Amino acid sequence: MNEQALKEFLYKMADDTLIIGHRNSEWTGMGPILEEDIAFSSMAQDQIGQSLALFTLLHQLGEQEPDTVAFMRNANQFHNCILTELPNQEYDFSIVRHFLYTTSATLRWDMCTHSSYEPLAQLAKKVKGELRYHSLHARTWIQQLGSATEESISRLQRSLELAMPYALGIFEESPFEKELVAQHIFEGEKRLMEKWLSAIEEVLGKTQLVIPDLKLIQPVLGGRKGQHSEHLQPLLDEMSEVFRTEPGAEW
Amino acid sequence: MKSLDPRVQRLPEELPPLQPKAPLDQFGSFEVFVQPKEGKPFQHEGIVHAPSLELAFVLAKEAFTRRFTCTSLYVTDTRNVMVSPTTEGNQNAYDLIPSVTEHQGGEPFEVYHLMKRGKQHLHAGTVEANSHEEAFSKAKAAFGSKQVFNVWVVRRSDIRFTRPEEQDLWLTLPEKKFRDASDYKGGDKLKEFLERQSSKS
Repeated sequence: MNEQALKEFLYKMADDTLIIGHRNSEWTGMGPILEEDIAFSSMAQDQIGQSLALFTLLHQLGEQEPDTVAFMRNANQFHNCILTELPNQEYDFSIVRHFLYTTSATLRWDMCTHSSYEPLAQLAKKVKGELRYHSLHARTWIQQLGSATEESISRLQRSLELAMPYALGIFEESPFEKELVAQHIFEGEKRLMEKWLSAIEEVLGKTQLVIPDLKLIQPVLGGRKGQHSEHLQPLLDEMSEVFRTEPGAEW
Repeated sequence: MKSLDPRVQRLPEELPPLQPKAPLDQFGSFEVFVQPKEGKPFQHEGIVHAPSLELAFVLAKEAFTRRFTCTSLYVTDTRNVMVSPTTEGNQNAYDLIPSVTEHQGGEPFEVYHLMKRGKQHLHAGTVEANSHEEAFSKAKAAFGSKQVFNVWVVRRSDIRFTRPEEQDLWLTLPEKKFRDASDYKGGDKLKEFLERQSSKS
């Protein structure tokens, strides 16, 4: 098995879920209603838990301790897609981003249940229940708000148009795409994107929202190569503040 | 109207006509029922606010089942829960329910009992009926020999159940101790800190 290809793939997944988990956790205590605050915060915890599980797999492959990897790298060493690091803005953007990201993550994890790398396949089966909830949550809100009032529909539509170029960046191909497919570690970003498109079309088709014409959109790439927006470094500074101040800190 | 009771004096001679109330500026409420373990009855767990039955199900899942074991969950609009008179334990709530003329068949209604003040309503069983009144009456015939404080009746078709393919919602990563306050051992840390402080002085 091509270990470099495998590691690159695991880092990408781990960083996506760590960064989106941290962003979503910024809603804790500020959610639109108490019940949604709890649900969104709880999913953020799930996501950070998933990143820990992935960093643990990487540690078993010879990478450094999960905390070190999570807290001591600089922005240009992160492989998350830029969609996950964008600021939360208002709740309409956060929920649209959550929907676009979670739909892709659910499909990616599901494809990983067939991975030839057995520890990943095992982990993918374990997180299935969490992902089922995340996508049920995202889908239900989009269907509710996407056909509710003029304000909710136009807000979601605006956020959808804003997020879409970044969402296409989820599927930025890795330099090891061929190896990953040939060795059955992962079926590839192209296949994932096809599945994702039909999944979001199915949900958005039940609403009054319109999917922007993808042919006219320039995907925002670079995240997978460590080229990030100006929003990632401040997030990392805040996330790692305690760890960097006192590496042995326990809480 | 002559009275020395100030409460009576405050009442206007003629009540103004009733005005329709402004619609609520918040979401309606939904009742949440949880099955903690396979084979155990569903119990009333609490309430969520939500804009729809489906979102009530989604929000209830995290509000009430994110920590403890759970095998299934369902929700219904609070307005669909019909409530019997409540007793103080000196008599059976079923004795306060009027019997009505019963007909054969109908659709299923779920019946819940409050067995003790301060406890949760527990699912007692199912009756088939053509209305809530008839469901109460049939529940009285079926379960009325038990001493209960209060009875609820809900039409089954008003409930959003967990679908069979959703059973894995509760199969999650098991390492969730960090979610419990006890895992942070705050008391121990505080004790250590205070001991350090007192040994310094």
